[in-house]
Amino acid sequence: MEIKLNPQQIFLINNLTTKQELVQYLVSNICKDTALNQEEVFKAIIKREQGISTTLESGLSIPHARLEGLTSFRAVLAVIPQGVQDNYGKNIKVMFLFLSPSGEQYFPEHLKLLAKLAETFTPAFIEELCNLKSTEEIAAKLPF
Amino acid sequence: MNEDSTNTQSKSKVKSVVVISTAMLTFITFWKAAAIVLCDFGSSAFYAGGIAYNAFGPAFPWYILGVSFFSGLLLMMYLESCSMFTRSGVFPVVSAGLGEKAAQLAASALLFDMALTGPISGISAGNYLIGLINSTFTIFKINFSLNPETFSMIFAAAVVIYFWYQNVKGIEDSSEKSAKIIKLSLIICGILFLWSAITLALRGTVTLPPLKPQLTQEAMGWAANIPFMQKVGYIGVLIALGHSVLALSGLETLAQVFRELEYPKVQNLKKTSMIIFVFAVVFTGGLTFLAALIIDPADMAKYSDNLISGLAMSLKGPTFLKLLLQAAVVFAGGLMLCGAVNTSIIGANGTMNRIAESGILTDWFRKIHKKYGTTYHIINTICLTQLLVIFLSRGHVYLIGQAYAFGVLWSFVFEMVSIVVLRFKNREQKREFMMPLNIKFDHFYIPIGATLVGLIVISLAGINLITKKVATISGVSFGLILFTIFYISGRLNAKKANIMFEEGPREKLNETQVPELNKAFENLPYKENILVTVKNADNLYHLEKVLTDLKDSEINIIVLYVRPLDNWNAGKDREGRTVDYKELFTQVILKAENFGRPVHPIMVNSNDFFTAAAQVAYAAKAQKIVMGVSGTYGANEQMEYMVMAWATIPEKYKIMAEILWPGREVSFKF
Repeated sequence: MEIKLNPQQIFLINNLTTKQELVQYLVSNICKDTALNQEEVFKAIIKREQGISTTLESGLSIPHARLEGLTSFRAVLAVIPQGVQDNYGKNIKVMFLFLSPSGEQYFPEHLKLLAKLAETFTPAFIEELCNLKSTEEIAAKLPF
Repeated sequence: MNEDSTNTQSKSKVKSVVVISTAMLTFITFWKAAAIVLCDFGSSAFYAGGIAYNAFGPAFPWYILGVSFFSGLLLMMYLESCSMFTRSGVFPVVSAGLGEKAAQLAASALLFDMALTGPISGISAGNYLIGLINSTFTIFKINFSLNPETFSMIFAAAVVIYFWYQNVKGIEDSSEKSAKIIKLSLIICGILFLWSAITLALRGTVTLPPLKPQLTQEAMGWAANIPFMQKVGYIGVLIALGHSVLALSGLETLAQVFRELEYPKVQNLKKTSMIIFVFAVVFTGGLTFLAALIIDPADMAKYSDNLISGLAMSLKGPTFLKLLLQAAVVFAGGLMLCGAVNTSIIGANGTMNRIAESGILTDWFRKIHKKYGTTYHIINTICLTQLLVIFLSRGHVYLIGQAYAFGVLWSFVFEMVSIVVLRFKNREQKREFMMPLNIKFDHFYIPIGATLVGLIVISLAGINLITKKVATISGVSFGLILFTIFYISGRLNAKKANIMFEEGPREKLNETQVPELNKAFENLPYKENILVTVKNADNLYHLEKVLTDLKDSEINIIVLYVRPLDNWNAGKDREGRTVDYKELFTQVILKAENFGRPVHPIMVNSNDFFTAAAQVAYAAKAQKIVMGVSGTYGANEQMEYMVMAWATIPEKYKIMAEILWPGREVSFKF
C-alpha cells in the first residue's frame, strides 16, 4: 500500500485551536470532490477517537476511520507549528487523518500505515516540518 | 538510538518497575514432589515398626505391610481431591464437603498430627544416633554409654529449635535436598535388601512372623474392659492396624505439594503417587518385614526404637562393615527424620495460614516478621508446642507413637467423608481422576470404592478411640483447645472474616522494585519470552490460552500489569474501574498454579498502557505480546494502538501481537 500526498492534501494550520476543529477541517478537505458524506465521516472519526486516543507523545495525531464502500486509502496531513492541546494534555503538532476500507483484508495494510506513521513522525521530524514555510516543502520532505 | 526517539521514550517511560514474586511461582517435577512427600511420609519407616512391635508383638510386619498397601487407596483418594482443588488438603476439601466447622475440627486433628510429627521424628533420629554411638562404644570396648531417652530428647529439641530458626528466617524448602535424601535412602535400602537376601540365604530357613497380634493390656486400652473385644479376630486385626496406622502420617504433604507440581499436574500427581506407593510398600513395609525376619527375637526389644539399625547390625558379615552400614542408615534416616521435623513445621504453618486466610484466626497469628516476612507467631506457637511434647514425653517414642495416630486418622476421616459427600454436592465439578469402583446413576457417580475406603478409615479411627487412651485423651484435649482458639478467634475476627470470605484468599506477594526494566528480566530461566498483559482479574482468558498452548515449552511467560499513575486517574484503569493489583496477581498466580506452569509477574506505573507494554516487551526481547480484549474499545482499536506504540520503539525488531478472547483472536506481526 502506497500513500502519496500532494501539496493539495497538506495544510499548514495557524488559526485552529482545538483538536475537534482540526479534525473537522481535515474531514471537510478529505471529503471534497468525493461521494463521501462529510458528517458521517466526521462521526466515524470522532467515535474512533473516543476509544483510545490516537495522539502519540511525539505530537503526532492520527485520527482515522474504516469506512464501508471505500476501496482505497485516502489521507490528508496538517502541520500545526504552534500546536493544539488534546483532551489528555498532549500537544498535537502534526495531524495525519486517513480513511481506509472497512474490509478485513485491508486491516493489515491499515495497521502497517499506522506503524509507518508512528515510526516516521519522530519529535525531531515533526519539529523539522513545523519549521517549513509551505505545503510544497512539506510534501517534498515526506518520505512517502 | 537517535536523540529524538530517546526524548519520546523518556517522556512516556514507565515510572517504576516492580517485580512480583511468590513462593508458589516455581514448579517442580513429579520426582521432586515425591521426594518432598517421602521425606515426611517415608520417615515413619524408621519408627512405625518398633512402635507396632511394642503394641502387639511379632505380628507387626504384616500390619505395617498391610497399612503400606492401604496407602495406595488413600493416595487414590488424594488424587481425586487434588484433581478438584489445586490448593487441596484437609482444610479446603473438608470446608467444601462438610462446612467450615468440620474443616476446623479436621484441621485441629491434622495440626495435632503435625505437632507430634516433629517430636516423634526428632526423638527417633536421636534414637538412631545414640544407637550408633552406643554400638560403636560397645564394639570398641569403651565402657561408656549415654542414656538414650535423655540424649534423644535433647537432640529432638535441638532439631526443632534449628528448624524454628530456619522457618522464621523463611528459607525455602528445597526439593533438591529432599531428592538427594531420598536417592541416598534408596541406595541404602537397596544395600539392605541385597545384604538381607544374602543373610537369609546363608541361614537357610526363613520363619515367617505370626499373623495373630498379641495385644498387650496397654495396647487394648479401654477395650481391655470390654470382654468381646478381647477375642482376637476381626477386632484384633483392626486394633493392630490401628497401632500401625502411624506409618501413614505425612500423606497430607501430597496435597500441600500438589500446587507446586508442574504441568500436566494430575498426570504428574499420578506418577508422584505411584512412586510414594512403591516406596511405602518396599521401604516402609519391606524393610520392616526384613527387620522382623532377620533381627533375633531376643534383640527385638533392644532395637524397637531403631529397628532399621537393628536390621543392619543383625546381618551376616564383618562387624566393621555392619557398623558402617548402620552409620549409613543413621545418616540417611537422620536426614529423613530431621527433614520430617521441618516438613511438620512447614505443613502446620501452611495449614494455620489456610485457616487464617479464611479469616478465622486473629491478626495476632498472621503477624508478619518485620525482617523476614514470615508468619512468625504461628511458627513460634508450633515449635513451642513441639518442644513441650518433646519434654513431656521425656524422649519416649512409644508414648508419642501412642498419641500419634489420632491426628492422622481423624484428619483422614474428615477428608475421606468430604470426598464422598462432594461426589453428590459438587457432582458437576471436573475431576481428572475419580477413585475407582463407581456406579453411574442418573447424573451421579455413586462412589462405592471411596465409601469403602472411608468406612475402613472410620473403623480404624473408631477402634483407636477405645484402644488408644493416650491418643484419645491428648488428641481430644488438643483438638478442643484448638477448636476453642478457632472459635474465639473467629468471633473476634468476624467482621474481617466476612470481608475476607467475600474477597477470597489473597496470595502473599513480594514486591521488589528494580531500578530499570532490563533488571527485571535478568534471572529468567529461558531465552525466549512472551509478554501477557493483564488488567482485569475477571478477564484472564488470554493468559489461560497462553498457559495451555505453551504447555511445557521453554519460554518465559512475563505477565505485565500497567498500573495507572495515581495523579492521573487515582489508581483506576482507563475504563474508570478501581484495579486491585493484589487481587489481579492472586488470580494470575492461581491460573499458573492450576496449569503448573510458572509465570513472571511484573508491574509498571504508567499512564500509557500500550507504550508501557511495548517498552516492557522490548526490554524483555519478547517475541510476542498477548492481550485480552477490552470490553470498551474492541480488539481492532487495541491492535492499532499497540502497533503505533511498538513503532515508537527505537531499534525495534519484528514482533507478534495477539488479542485473544473466547472463540476469536486478532493477531498481527509487525
